[in-house]
Amino acid sequence: MKGIEEQIRATSSQLLAAGDVQMVIGYGAGSDNTRTMPVFIKRAEDVGKLVFNPFCVSNLANYLLQWNNFEGKIAIVVKGCDSRSIIRLLQDKQIEREKIIVLGVNCPGQLKSGPAEAKIPVDAVLSEATVDNAGIKLQTSSGPVTFSLEEGLLEKCRQCESSRPVISDYLFGEKGFEADRADLSFNDVAALEDEPLEEKSKYWDKYFERCLRCYACRNSCPACSCRECVFDMVEPDWVAKTVNLSDNTAFHLIRAFHVAGRCTDCGECERVCPAEIPLRVLNRKIIKDIKELFGAPMPGSDLEALPVLSFYSLDDPESQN
Amino acid sequence: MVVYKKITRDNLVQFLQELTKDRILIAPVREHEIVSFSPVADAGQVDFSFQNSFVPPKSWFFPQSEQIFSFRLEEGKYELSTPSLPRGAVLFGVHPCDLKSILALDPVFDGKFDDNYYCDRRKNTIIIGLGCQSVGRNCFCFKVGGGPLESTGADIFLTPAGGDFLAEGLTDQGTDLINKHSRFFSDSSAEQIDKEKREGTDRLLKQPAGLKGDFNLQKVKAFLDANYEIPYWEELSYRCLGCGICTYLCPTCHCFDINDYARSGLEGERIRCWDSCQFKDFTLMAGGHNPRPSKKERVRNRFLHKFKYHEDRYGLFGCVGCGRCVQKCPVNIDPRKIILDLQEVAGNE
Repeated sequence: MKGIEEQIRATSSQLLAAGDVQMVIGYGAGSDNTRTMPVFIKRAEDVGKLVFNPFCVSNLANYLLQWNNFEGKIAIVVKGCDSRSIIRLLQDKQIEREKIIVLGVNCPGQLKSGPAEAKIPVDAVLSEATVDNAGIKLQTSSGPVTFSLEEGLLEKCRQCESSRPVISDYLFGEKGFEADRADLSFNDVAALEDEPLEEKSKYWDKYFERCLRCYACRNSCPACSCRECVFDMVEPDWVAKTVNLSDNTAFHLIRAFHVAGRCTDCGECERVCPAEIPLRVLNRKIIKDIKELFGAPMPGSDLEALPVLSFYSLDDPESQN
Repeated sequence: MVVYKKITRDNLVQFLQELTKDRILIAPVREHEIVSFSPVADAGQVDFSFQNSFVPPKSWFFPQSEQIFSFRLEEGKYELSTPSLPRGAVLFGVHPCDLKSILALDPVFDGKFDDNYYCDRRKNTIIIGLGCQSVGRNCFCFKVGGGPLESTGADIFLTPAGGDFLAEGLTDQGTDLINKHSRFFSDSSAEQIDKEKREGTDRLLKQPAGLKGDFNLQKVKAFLDANYEIPYWEELSYRCLGCGICTYLCPTCHCFDINDYARSGLEGERIRCWDSCQFKDFTLMAGGHNPRPSKKERVRNRFLHKFKYHEDRYGLFGCVGCGRCVQKCPVNIDPRKIILDLQEVAGNE
């Protein structure tokens, strides 16, 4: 992955020096060797702060909403999954195509933090990482570290539909991670669908009960683009500020329906959730329904195709009645 | 009076079970991958080897949502009723960082003004502290004046020793409880416990550390006293998502909001619930003015509260180094790094 990192730095440097962009949003080294953090680079001499490794998990597209009044152009580093958010933001006219330059990465796959923390000593320096279907190999200053895919790779990566960005102005990396076809079949959602109603209810209750309503899921979500959120309103207070199972459930279900058709399964909500609520399952249920009911692809897969829940066709099942 | 005892792990479980007869036992339990302080009926479920609980034990004294009173309008008159006080409790398994955090909350709720909701529970609760068996990757109690076997704040403190525990009764309440249940304990001595703690601390702190560099919190505070506007806060705020993870998981954060909920105009309840200074509407005023309009002011407030305001008001820093925000911040806003950065900025001024 060193190669990708060097290419990101070189291209960012050129773009900034030439004045083609005024800011690069990318990943920088975190305070721990198993973490990175979003960085906002405005000067060519600072591109050395940009990194790329298997801990570049977050979806930076969310920051384009924050910077949508930025004067100038922004270059942004995206992986395959993140690139779908760019498409959806463009389709919703949240961002302008000519104001962004997409630095796409053929994503080799990203690692879970738990197993990585358990195996990589805190003072080790990461030098190289390779991910292929045989497993994950990291070179560190305290020796090599290996994981099986099941053990180390993020679930969303094992279920990745396209590690190659669906939109990019520059593309880095030879070949991204190719998921096993069997993992693309939404089996996880189907298994829960098959449970009796009471079991499904129990499953979600145990997780929603511990939701803190910290709103990290909402705030990290590139599909949550409302300027004023219904959950922040005091007058009227649609959902009370108290934390209890009923209001927590209302929060999560309302949010899932609000982002339906815009959720691209980037997985940020689940990654950031401090209570470890499996939020992707909720959103993937809706994505599965969209695929089955409308024959539409994963949202954000195609810039030209109209977003599935944003247009009306006389062939829609509802029109037949 | 201080007593020095020893207790085996099996006896500890039995001791805790015995305590449930008279008191509510609030203890760490692992459920669906996370550890929480919850009411426990079967002491066999208590987790003794957890690193850090998900939500800090402050939630026992200061629950996330708490009814202050309920009201009812009858024949033109409002009737108020206050919730009854829970019976006495034992809060078991509080690690040294969290013990210290409770000492940082006490002057807030039990200072110039008495917050009876907090104070009633606090007076009614015996705290059994538990020394750490390992120092986590994100732990830094030892860099902010604490340590993995520091007992301050506990009524009884347990130091892990080869599968068993050394027990100190540190307050009258704690000592009485040990004496009352002396059949579970055997004798130890101040010397033995001191030695175990000294050696244990050395052993625990020998683990390699991630971020290098010493903290000088007084220097950081002096710098913050003199510098309110620095570009650093704006740069830091770029990546902040403005969520409430850090404040809700912080063992010393204590801000709350109060709301009335009425199903009809005739009856309802007044609730207080945690609030976060990272939220946009935290300082939003009725007229529409917001004195902390952007993430810059909100992020700055959080760190000024930890490293300046709390010290100004109570003579204690507001960070105990538990590492929860380090672990859970989705964008790696790490207070250890911020302290080091501020020291560097201060050095350059």
